[in-house]
Amino acid sequence: MPARQALEIPFVHAVEKCFAEHLHGDLGWWRDRCHKGMTCFRRLGFPTQRQESWKYTSLASVLRQPLATGGSPIPYPGPLPWVDGLDAHVGVFVDGRLDKSRSSLASLPPGVLVTDLHRAGFSRACNLGTLANSTRHPFVALNTAFLTGGAFVLIDANVFLDKPIHVMHLATSNRGRLAQPRTLVHAFRESRASVIESVHLESAGPSLINAVSEYQLENLTHVSRYELQDPAAHVSCVSSLDVTPGYSSRFENHCFTFGGDVVRNNVRVLQIRMDSETVLNGLFMARNRSHVDNHTLVHHAVPDGFSSENYRGILDDHATGVFNGKVLVAPDAQKTNAYQTNKSIVLSDTARMFAKPELEIYADDVKCSHGATTGQLSEDALFYLRTRGLTIKDARTLLLQAFAGEITGEVPHAALREALNQRVTASLQG
Amino acid sequence: MNTDTQYLHEVAAGDYEHGWVTEVASDTIPKGLSEDVIRLISSKKQDPDWMLERRLRALRHWQTLHDKEKHPSWAHLQIPAIDFQSISYYSAPGKKAKYQSLDEVDPEVLRTFERLGIPLKEQERLAGVAVDAVIDSVSVATSFKEELAERGIIFCSFSEAIEEHPELVRKYMGSVVPHTDNFYAALNAAVFSDGSFCYIPPGVRCPMELSTYFRINQAGTGQFERTLIVADKGSYVSYLEGCTAPMRDEHQLHAAVVEIIAHEDAEVKYSTIQNWYPGDANGKGGVLNFVTKRGICQGTRSKISWTQLETGSAITWKYPSVILKGDDSKGEFYSVAFTKGRQQADTGTKMLHLGRNTSSTIISKGISAGRSNNSYRGLVRIGRKAHNARNFSQCDSMLLGNRCGAHTFPYLETSNPTAQVEHEATTSKVGEDQMFYCNQRGISEQDAIKLIVTGFCQEILGKLPMEFAVEARKLLAIELEGSVG
Repeated sequence: MPARQALEIPFVHAVEKCFAEHLHGDLGWWRDRCHKGMTCFRRLGFPTQRQESWKYTSLASVLRQPLATGGSPIPYPGPLPWVDGLDAHVGVFVDGRLDKSRSSLASLPPGVLVTDLHRAGFSRACNLGTLANSTRHPFVALNTAFLTGGAFVLIDANVFLDKPIHVMHLATSNRGRLAQPRTLVHAFRESRASVIESVHLESAGPSLINAVSEYQLENLTHVSRYELQDPAAHVSCVSSLDVTPGYSSRFENHCFTFGGDVVRNNVRVLQIRMDSETVLNGLFMARNRSHVDNHTLVHHAVPDGFSSENYRGILDDHATGVFNGKVLVAPDAQKTNAYQTNKSIVLSDTARMFAKPELEIYADDVKCSHGATTGQLSEDALFYLRTRGLTIKDARTLLLQAFAGEITGEVPHAALREALNQRVTASLQG
Repeated sequence: MNTDTQYLHEVAAGDYEHGWVTEVASDTIPKGLSEDVIRLISSKKQDPDWMLERRLRALRHWQTLHDKEKHPSWAHLQIPAIDFQSISYYSAPGKKAKYQSLDEVDPEVLRTFERLGIPLKEQERLAGVAVDAVIDSVSVATSFKEELAERGIIFCSFSEAIEEHPELVRKYMGSVVPHTDNFYAALNAAVFSDGSFCYIPPGVRCPMELSTYFRINQAGTGQFERTLIVADKGSYVSYLEGCTAPMRDEHQLHAAVVEIIAHEDAEVKYSTIQNWYPGDANGKGGVLNFVTKRGICQGTRSKISWTQLETGSAITWKYPSVILKGDDSKGEFYSVAFTKGRQQADTGTKMLHLGRNTSSTIISKGISAGRSNNSYRGLVRIGRKAHNARNFSQCDSMLLGNRCGAHTFPYLETSNPTAQVEHEATTSKVGEDQMFYCNQRGISEQDAIKLIVTGFCQEILGKLPMEFAVEARKLLAIELEGSVG
């Protein structure tokens, strides 16, 4: 594909140039990892639509933008207005470095550490890059190549955190228009915590956020993650999450997408310990020319696993939604229960939805199912509400709020749930 | 190992019933594929020039694909490397490429079909099924032609259609599956040797089931037949297809193309019982079944329905599809795919909604036993202009044994807000509670599994025409005996 190569070459050149500059910096103990990441990225290159997992998502609009390194620095971004003031332990990371003056971590209980990756030390952060696989995923490789810092969260054994930890990445981007935040969370035995992750970048021109998160859960832990994505319309976002839950542990991921140009979320959960549970929920609301692609893989490698997925999307204007959920049950993973649902509402004539819920099963004593629906609002429900005196607009909003509420309602933190509901309403009215 | 799994293992080890060979002198051309081979096949079939040209065009396209190594490799299958130069692309039993009457046919060939239970002689007609019997590259006989002709129905071998109804063949052949469609469609368009042709004139309801029976006999050959069904305005036809092959150590290639055109208010029901030789328990030999089947609902209110029972073949790669072009048209796909031993199946459908108020139903049941892998792969695409399109898909998989795999790969692409697309899939095994219930009532484990599996597929088996439904149930029971435990 010569056209595609022509598109990619300037971008890759820019990446190479950045990489050369980047290596002059103080790299500490992970220099090897950066090199490995870059080697992998050079080998993999950017994915194309000829690859099955990128079939519906084109990166052309992302690659077409110059990855300028010079020019005026991007102004300092503020936090997302709708999550500002949330009752949480906030760790603000500016270009991968913890900014203590903006963070509020004073009330963190003992046993919980929120710090820079490079200050965490090798012994603590040795799992960095072991969960997220650079050899197979080009965006993980790219992120790893430019690893200058990131957030490190450690929850010690037997610690129960009531308030969520909010890892807020701010990109001022002196590295051009490519922000690459990184997060590593390690929850020890019998701990319980919630982590909110958000990335904030303000830029006048098109930009790309390439975020990578790794969650390692030891036995009997319960960790919930909330990813809040609300980038501006010209900002694209690729987010990768890799999780390995421990024995008898539970991991929940709640992903909310409200904007962006091309948004791609990769969630990969590898269940290699028995009796673990995974819940993946997602809500995406896309309008204008936004393209939101949610890709999930739950790999049940051992028996007695459980996973449940529920993704919902509302698509308006020229937006495109993609859901590709895969459940893989390995030959020995007997007694696995895996459920998957994807429901989408298409509001305009020009919006499109692509769903690909996959099951790949090699064990016989399992219960697996998936369901996918795409449609519009029920005429009957709209009629019912109109007979009760609601305007058509209010009736639609109410029904869509209820539709989205199935996902936001799963958030146990009242303040966050309320903030999300308000964001949903604002999005519906905007 | 409990008796339940023991029985499942026995089922997985069942024998193939139609594995014998007909000893008959045959006219088989040398192995290999080139323009000369195409010209040779064409001259044997006494093709008109336009057909030869089409073949050569297809061959050139295929060669470019082959040179670029563009074999379809996306399916969830492990396909052995195929040497296309080591296959003979034409083989005729006896010395003739065309038969005028049954008297000319080698009695050995007739006995073959007798043994397969295919009634060729009209006095032996059973339930009023007209049959076109194809062995290797040649159509042997077509029954009930005169009776059908009285109503204006054309039912004959493809070679005959090229000769007698060239205008119809030229118009419709390749209109649904062009030679550029895919690798195996290109190969078929180049080397196809025979097949069936059927035309139902306007307003005619075909009084009997039409059927084609395909048999591969010669070693070292492949079968590349083409079926073309044209249902004119307001007509109806139900079409059946069956196939078997002898047991051979090497893989044999079967790359067929089926095209269906349904005009306004027409309805075509196409049923297949696919029972090609599946290879032995270690996966040696067996037919590679790479088939392109597609129908187009050209006119308003037309309907195409595919029903298939897939039990044979070492590898099945087959996606009977419907293009729903006419407004208010309907597409249906009902499938049971049973794999055992080391069989692999990647099968499903494509429903392409283009017209308004189109609807499609997909019901697929996959049963895997032994060390087999069974995948459902289906595409539902709702085009921008397909207002009020409706789709319902359901694919259920059942696993008999813990060394097999059952997979589902549905693709749902919706570009119209008024569309309603629903998909659901489940995977399960024979429930212990179901087994317990049956045992408690004195039903043996073996019978209970048969009962449960048949019940699992009942929805589909019920859609088959009566003659086929009986055979299908028997076939499924035989397959199970060889493989369930």
